[in-house]
Amino acid sequence: MDDAILRLEKITKAYRGVPAVREVDFELRKGEIHALLGENGAGKSTLTKMMAGVVAPSSGRMWLHGRETVFATPNAALEAGIAMVFQETSLVPSMTVAQNLYLGSEKFLNRLRGTYISAQQFLQSLNFPVDPAAMVETLGAAKKQMVEIARAVHHNAEVIIFDEPTATLTPEEKRHFFALIRRLKARGVSIVFISHALEEALDLSDRITILRDGELVATGPTAGFTRETIVAAMVGRTLSDALYRDRSAAGTRKAGQKVLSVQDLSMGAMVRNTSFSIFAGQVTGVFGLVGSGRTETFKVVSGIYKRDFLRGGAVALDGRPVRYTVPREAVRDGIVYITEDRKAEGFFETMSIAENIYSGLLAAGHDHAWYVGRAEMAAVAAEWTQTLNIRAINENARVVELSGGNQQKVVIGKGLVQKPRLVIFDEPTRGVDVGAIAEIHALINRLANEGLAVVVISSYLPEVMNLSDRILVCRQGRIVEEFSPGEATEARIMYAAVH
Amino acid sequence: MGFLGSLNQERIVFAIAVAIFVVAALTLPGFFTADNLVAIVRSVSVLGILALGMAIIVIGRGIDLSMVAVMAMSVAWYLQMLGNGMSDGAALGLALAGVVAIGFANGFLVAYAEVPAIFVTLASASFVYGLVRSQLIGSDAVPVPPGHWVAELGALRLADVPVEVFVFAGLALAAFVFLRFTKWGRYVYYAGDNPAAARNVGMPVRPMLVLRYVLSSLVAFAAGILTAGSLQSMNTRVVNSPQLYDIVLVTVIGGIGLAGGKGGVRNVLIGAALIGIMLNAMTILDIPLLYQNLIKSAILLAAIIFDGVLNPRDEQTAQQGDI
Repeated sequence: MDDAILRLEKITKAYRGVPAVREVDFELRKGEIHALLGENGAGKSTLTKMMAGVVAPSSGRMWLHGRETVFATPNAALEAGIAMVFQETSLVPSMTVAQNLYLGSEKFLNRLRGTYISAQQFLQSLNFPVDPAAMVETLGAAKKQMVEIARAVHHNAEVIIFDEPTATLTPEEKRHFFALIRRLKARGVSIVFISHALEEALDLSDRITILRDGELVATGPTAGFTRETIVAAMVGRTLSDALYRDRSAAGTRKAGQKVLSVQDLSMGAMVRNTSFSIFAGQVTGVFGLVGSGRTETFKVVSGIYKRDFLRGGAVALDGRPVRYTVPREAVRDGIVYITEDRKAEGFFETMSIAENIYSGLLAAGHDHAWYVGRAEMAAVAAEWTQTLNIRAINENARVVELSGGNQQKVVIGKGLVQKPRLVIFDEPTRGVDVGAIAEIHALINRLANEGLAVVVISSYLPEVMNLSDRILVCRQGRIVEEFSPGEATEARIMYAAVH
Repeated sequence: MGFLGSLNQERIVFAIAVAIFVVAALTLPGFFTADNLVAIVRSVSVLGILALGMAIIVIGRGIDLSMVAVMAMSVAWYLQMLGNGMSDGAALGLALAGVVAIGFANGFLVAYAEVPAIFVTLASASFVYGLVRSQLIGSDAVPVPPGHWVAELGALRLADVPVEVFVFAGLALAAFVFLRFTKWGRYVYYAGDNPAAARNVGMPVRPMLVLRYVLSSLVAFAAGILTAGSLQSMNTRVVNSPQLYDIVLVTVIGGIGLAGGKGGVRNVLIGAALIGIMLNAMTILDIPLLYQNLIKSAILLAAIIFDGVLNPRDEQTAQQGDI
């Protein structure tokens, strides 16, 4: 216990009463590399944000060097020696490396030359090959990260927290990064890093902590873990067992007609040469971790993004090649994408439930008249509020005032009024209460039974396994594996999804 | 919350307009007469027409700062061509083509090149003014040829009410029907509320954006014809006057939020009523023009601040298509 630099006891963070992290104990020792693992939404980011003062804990206690502390702001944490390096870098792109290093700690008068010289010396002392006079925007991901780390070290950070540091790096850059982490360790810096890459964690870390559903499931020296035990700990569910029902092969729906076929689809760095098919009358589950390109793939299918012009691959709907430039064309062809980010691109927040649902009908194209029918709007809204069991205080309530579950139902209703043939649900139950989750799952099953082609993108394994008649696993921009419900286990799916 | 919740900008402004009206009617001699009331409506008609065009743009989360320039320069060019002896049909056709082209260019740059509307229209205002003034017309003010229909239009009165009042009423009705009852009108609201969601649900967001800027340019041309009719000439110095900002004032003060997706023709009418009554009362009181501008600017600022407090913008959605 003596060498614990940072200790957390029964730390809890709840958002609007829903705990994201529940009574977790955590201990970071001096000069160790500590890997923090878990599925998406397991609470890793929230936990580290509490350590770095970005988020205030709801309850629990925290000790730094044996003294109880609470950080009100990230700055307070930084002054106490805890720095966090975020996934999206917090550097100012239009400034030089040196200026970024000294950002916030400039002297009253700055001589550029002096700044460059001291930055140069400092970077050399860390053995970082970065030019202090280079603009940050011209640097690659790895060098940006070096600057971030240098900044943390410059602030005399004793604890540096990395949130998925390797997600955006090439293999070559990763090797550099690992070497750098080891050098930091040699300097006595303690490191926490969040990762999805199990090999990295096993390779690099001294100790491992695994979270699941906001709770601590395992912690201990790395030597005590294997890839298999980690995966088992990450997915082995206790809480969600009731929700989780293994689909037997007999219970699956037969594949109907092939609705969508995608060949070698590519878009930028996010979708790389992916190929798959979607069939009518069944639910195709798409599992992948954040950043695996699953959302982007289906946004290309539904016309929200455009695939690469050259070597972008081919998409065919009912065997007819299609290339959508706007979602409108996809909607007219019966493809509806129900977004994972309903606030940003799903609903119209200042409008009523009726206006939101009616928007789908108004937009659907030639088959709607030029005028707005108030009676039609009321009828459609009444029908779908009932079908989807949308509950609001009153009919004129603005959508932004509804609960997450009801908002999600509104967004779903807005898509379903368009009578689609292919519905793509992206994280349909994110930020949705338990009751609404069951209703949305029942709806998804009903749609498939009615003969629609349904895709469910999710990073929540029980959801994928519970709903799907086929499971596709997405990793690094492509569909890498396909499972039938009979052969799929959580461990096998997770194994395919991590790299 | 019940009382505060019902207290929106539209109602407050309406109450203030009524209050000023009542006080002015009781205290100012000559305010509450038929002639003066007609004068009030007439004085805001052109402004109101321009504000209708602006309202359609602002509801769709945009802004058009080129309206006054388009209004003045297109009509000045039209009158110049008439003065040079061109046939009316050809001159009108050319002027309208120019107006549509500017509106289309504005819309295209905002929608497809994704340049912020405030910069696009500011630049096109300068461009239109500079091009027409230097290349197409000979002097700052261009007279209406005697006996031309524009001149007759300016003198036209129905039951002692000048024609621009009827044009304002007609356009207000047309805008109301468009915004309220046509699906393209509703697209404006959806795109103003959340452009990304409107695009995803399958609305033609970008073509509609272009259409709005074409519409506002056409509205500006109509307002310019009425102005030229009543003054018997078009003075292009109006481009450098505060008229543009009066348009924004009338649009915003009635409760059309700059964040988009909110308001309608009723808000324009309320805004026009307040400004008309206030300007008229200040003129009767003989308040110098400089102070009138001071008062107007204070009111505009207050209305925008108030709008910001009552309708706080959401961080996430506000980032897209900011003006």
